Amino acid sequence: MDLFFQVFVNSLVIGSLYGAIAMSFALAYRTTRFFNLAHGSMAAIGGYTFFWMRDSLGADFIISLPVGILVAGVAGFLIDRFIYAPQRQRKASSTVLLVVSLGVVTVIEAVLSMVFGPQFRPLVTAEHISSFQIGPVFITQVQVWIIAVNLLIFVGLIALLYKSKFGRMIRAIADDCDVARTLGIRTDYYIGIVFFIAAALAGFVGILNGLDTGLQPTMGFYLLLKGIVASIIGGVGSIPGALLGGFLLAVVENAGVFTIGSEWRDAIAFVLLLVFLAFRPQGILGKGKE
Amino acid sequence: MDYLINLSILFSIYGILAISLNLLIGYTGLVSLAQAAFYGIGAYAAALLMTKAHMGFFPAMLCGMGLSACAALVIGMVLSKFRGDYYMIASAGCTMIVYNVLMSWREVTNGAIGIFGVPRPAIGDFVFTSNLAFLGLAAAFLVLVMLAAHLIASSSFGRVLKTIREDEDVARIFGYRPLHYKMLIFVISAMMASMAGSLFAVYLMFIDPSTFKLVENVFLLAIIILGGLADNRGALLGTLILIGLPELLRFTGFPTEIAAQMQKVIYGLLLIVLMFLRPQGILGKFRI
Repeated sequence: MDLFFQVFVNSLVIGSLYGAIAMSFALAYRTTRFFNLAHGSMAAIGGYTFFWMRDSLGADFIISLPVGILVAGVAGFLIDRFIYAPQRQRKASSTVLLVVSLGVVTVIEAVLSMVFGPQFRPLVTAEHISSFQIGPVFITQVQVWIIAVNLLIFVGLIALLYKSKFGRMIRAIADDCDVARTLGIRTDYYIGIVFFIAAALAGFVGILNGLDTGLQPTMGFYLLLKGIVASIIGGVGSIPGALLGGFLLAVVENAGVFTIGSEWRDAIAFVLLLVFLAFRPQGILGKGKE
Repeated sequence: MDYLINLSILFSIYGILAISLNLLIGYTGLVSLAQAAFYGIGAYAAALLMTKAHMGFFPAMLCGMGLSACAALVIGMVLSKFRGDYYMIASAGCTMIVYNVLMSWREVTNGAIGIFGVPRPAIGDFVFTSNLAFLGLAAAFLVLVMLAAHLIASSSFGRVLKTIREDEDVARIFGYRPLHYKMLIFVISAMMASMAGSLFAVYLMFIDPSTFKLVENVFLLAIIILGGLADNRGALLGTLILIGLPELLRFTGFPTEIAAQMQKVIYGLLLIVLMFLRPQGILGKFRI
């Protein structure tokens, strides 16, 4: 029974990580309708900026955290402005944009490997692994953070999308970009901001993931693949769907890990993806055909 | 000289892969990221059957191709439900699953350590030990695959594939079953990739899962988009450029690790720039 609670809490932590990256991905996806595979790299950029500030410049946590998030956000904004936006203007298909983003992710990973080395780096310090014991369950400080930030991102994004003028604008763009432009909405400006927010959130997730386990140049892509799986099984482009998908993916993964072994985690995730794509491509919360 | 022979062998193996992928992406419009999976299945089938069951190279390669064909039937069936972006994501998932199996089914695949001591192929008493002899073998297979691809492209089968690429409904109206054609080309392409994998395993005489990662698909995609989609000579041209170009980096004096990363930067930039300047590639007749 104790073991059950521990597996449950682990699923909660990993599900929060998946959900958070899936929600930030969904924000950009619902606005621009293409699979931006470079989105995960923003997590890596955020994580490595944080790591570099902290360990090379000796900066305080309070400074390196916002700087890491900001750098990721700006990177996302610039990639959209100089690479995706020109393609959109040429009416490029979503497949072309996907291939372009595949190029972007390859370049970013290689550059991070050249600068910081390709190997895995733990970011953990003693302070972060100080753990609480709630009943029979252990949870570290960072893991509590992860769960809290995930919920914060959910509430923040829902408020942003449905309670603000900015949210109305980007929902209009999501419905029909051309009509929105005809109505005088500066679509590229708003899409740029969406990419900034999505990338900044991904950067935050990257830092938390780094503090929880560690950093590797390929971590972003790996995290994003899980985020995409979570997003698709929840209902692609839906924020609540992404949150739900993250948890469902984590529960299924951990149940599988518990029964057949931890080395099969990724296979379990992608089999789940294929099952959903084959039988319910619109996801749990999706309506009708995609 | 030995260095040139080495490059030519790699060119032959990647040429087979590029042609096989071009049949899918260029001629049929199925942007698959699952090719590395069949490449891996072929490599492991040959390596395992030759080291553990002491089979000869040619029967082992045929077994690998059969296995890949079966896997392609299943994977192709699943993928046939999707189009466009979802096809890419789902096929990428297939590569991840096969990579995970190669990494984690340790009893059979030996996990991350890989398989050592794969023997070179032999015909009768003649063993392809020297790289020059092996180049002859690899080049012969490349020519075989080129002929097959040329036959497919210029036959009525190839024309139906192109029709499906442009508009599946049109193909259906003319009485063709798109599903059958897509499945058939998927299986053929997988068998070709599997053949390349078997050659790769016996050439290096060692394999590990790291060759069959998702990023290998990015490399193959860059090759055929650069050379030109829906053109078999284009696939070879792309292979020639992308196998040759990074080798020049060796002479710039960077450490190998940095040079390896710079290769990836080149592939990535190439994909980005090509999508702006010439999405159909150098000799291509089709743009995604």
